[in-house]
Amino acid sequence: MTHDTSSQKPNPNQRSDAEHLPSQQEHYGASIDHDEEAVVIVGSGAGGGTLAYELTAKGIPCVVLEAGPYLMPEDYENDEWASFKQMAWLDGRTSSGPYRVARDWPRLPAWVVKAVGGSTTHWSGATPRFRAHEFRTRTYYGDIEGANLLDWPITLEELAPYYDRAERAIGSTHRHGRPPLPANNNYKVFANGAEKIGYRFYATGPYGTNAEPYDGRPASIQDGFNFQGDKSTAKWNTAVREIPRAIKTGKCDLRCTSQAVQVTHDAGGRVNAVLYVDKAGALHRQAAKVVCVAGNSIESPRLLLMSASALHPDGLANSSGQVGRNYMRHLTGSVYARFDEPVHMYRGETMAGIIADEARQDTSRGFVGGYYLETLSLGPAFLAAFVDPGLWGPEFTEVMDAYANTAGMWIVGEDLPQQTNRVTLNSAVRDQWGLPAADVWFQDHANDVAMRNHGYGRADLLYEAVGAVGVHHTPPYPATHNLGTCRLSERPEDGVADRWGQAHDVPGLFISDGSQMTTGGAANPSLTIVALAIRQAEFIADQLGKGAL
Amino acid sequence: MPDPTPAPIDADSRRNLVRLLRVAYPHPRFPDGPYERTADAIIGQVDDSLWQRLVLSEGLTSLDARATADGQDSFVDLDDETALGLLRKLEDSEFFRFIRSVAVVTLYDDAEVHQLLGYEGPSFEQGGYLHRGFDDLDWLPNPRIEEYHGPEHLIEVAPDDEPTHASTQA
Repeated sequence: MTHDTSSQKPNPNQRSDAEHLPSQQEHYGASIDHDEEAVVIVGSGAGGGTLAYELTAKGIPCVVLEAGPYLMPEDYENDEWASFKQMAWLDGRTSSGPYRVARDWPRLPAWVVKAVGGSTTHWSGATPRFRAHEFRTRTYYGDIEGANLLDWPITLEELAPYYDRAERAIGSTHRHGRPPLPANNNYKVFANGAEKIGYRFYATGPYGTNAEPYDGRPASIQDGFNFQGDKSTAKWNTAVREIPRAIKTGKCDLRCTSQAVQVTHDAGGRVNAVLYVDKAGALHRQAAKVVCVAGNSIESPRLLLMSASALHPDGLANSSGQVGRNYMRHLTGSVYARFDEPVHMYRGETMAGIIADEARQDTSRGFVGGYYLETLSLGPAFLAAFVDPGLWGPEFTEVMDAYANTAGMWIVGEDLPQQTNRVTLNSAVRDQWGLPAADVWFQDHANDVAMRNHGYGRADLLYEAVGAVGVHHTPPYPATHNLGTCRLSERPEDGVADRWGQAHDVPGLFISDGSQMTTGGAANPSLTIVALAIRQAEFIADQLGKGAL
Repeated sequence: MPDPTPAPIDADSRRNLVRLLRVAYPHPRFPDGPYERTADAIIGQVDDSLWQRLVLSEGLTSLDARATADGQDSFVDLDDETALGLLRKLEDSEFFRFIRSVAVVTLYDDAEVHQLLGYEGPSFEQGGYLHRGFDDLDWLPNPRIEEYHGPEHLIEVAPDDEPTHASTQA
């Protein structure tokens, strides 16, 4: 085992850290007094889980508030609907606006996870980095009507060392000496088609699942269940790595089934506490000197909007008016192709197939920004629900009957930020605590439509090149990549937080998840969220050490 | 307040529902079992809602009236094409939408259907597909799995798309 060059020495015989923890307790780790001013982290996913580990490893006490339970690998189910009911965020939410999700899924704008690990529990694993120009979209894409483009206040060069660390934490294949995953059946179709239509930049990764034992976790057994949580622990997520390690430091107080409902500030305007509701509905107050909000890009702005005060009448940290705005959900479209021969696309790592050739800026294609093509598979239960909601009759059963001979891919690309694409409080719909639900209003930009149609066209060509007898275009479904609702900006009037993720107008308040993304890039976001969290943890530790926070 | 008397879903109505499901979701390979289980799941759902009970009961009964207009005694006597045409006219109705919403998440969430479609279901307990065919596709050559290391380079920004004054905004 000489592939890794980081300080973490891999030991293939060591069992996963998470296997030593009991399942679904309400509390894990240290007990921090409610009056002790701790670092309070809301959420335990890619952002929150990473912060918890990085900060507690430096000896800084953290309280982690996680709305969901701590599911262990043995709890996960190899069953699409049973798993969905077990871990999806199903509390009151609405979708609205002209996009089709509002019609097909009026109560489910997003498919994200409510459990320790957040959406890293059900992520697939693709870990491409942003490209340099994707941090500077206002400069590169120009002033596009209807879009609210802005350059990030940081560059790829600044983030690159943290990308290295994030890839080592995740164990990305094809990076830092780690080997690629083998080709599964779906990838064989995908990659052969790619080669035939002239694509070059395809591979089975980079991908956050072990091709060989690494970091105490085993190699993939190609079981085909990614979106349901990985029972084998070959796939990285914060519930099997960062959170158990944070607990081991003795500095992490993890409170599960604890829903943050308000962030408060003192007379001077700096954060001083988080109010949260426990499983029984009792309200608690945890004092805080630093609050890191990492509840995914729908819950994070919802929490800030629910935290309005006399000093912040439009919601905490919202003097720019940008909290909840510029919601992005990545381009999203899928293509399923039928063949005369068997494929069995469901066998193996779901998204271990990435084509990067279209992930570039080339407006001769008719749009700005770029996209990736990535292998995708659903079981019959989810394929029936998502392939084309509302479709029935022989056109529908033709798709289902071909299941064993079907190959699938996802189009994931950059969608443009728009001020009107927005998360707001829907006071007509309440969650189980009586709090206003989040509403997600969304409309495609013309650029998004042009890019998606280009992606569908390329996917058709790719599959036809290897003999497809029919293709089906699946429309966008409830968003798995939710981004941008509390964006970073150089100037306070343009966004919510500064180059470190600290709110421009609330000292001690940090945005620590995908909602900080100024623009979304084409890349799957988890790697970037982890890299930003490692960087932010360094900053917070440094500032706490200097007494500046 | 006492529960109102349920509008009964009788044997004729259930038979119409099974027939409707087979016409709406036609799979010649499927036996009756999956359709019957789906019908029972739909009927089971209406227990909680008077509105859905009324909609389903009236919808299923009135299918026969529509069939009579087409010159048949009952809906189950219609041939596939005629029955499909009848359902097309109803597809936006509350009745049909309710059936569809339950059917699409029930019919295909069924172990027998999974087998019929060639899906193998839970795999972790069997060691995944590592030794059970994850890479057994043999009608195409084995592709490269490593990233491309040839002479071409991915051009991240096309020359014509380089900003003319990229440094104006930091």
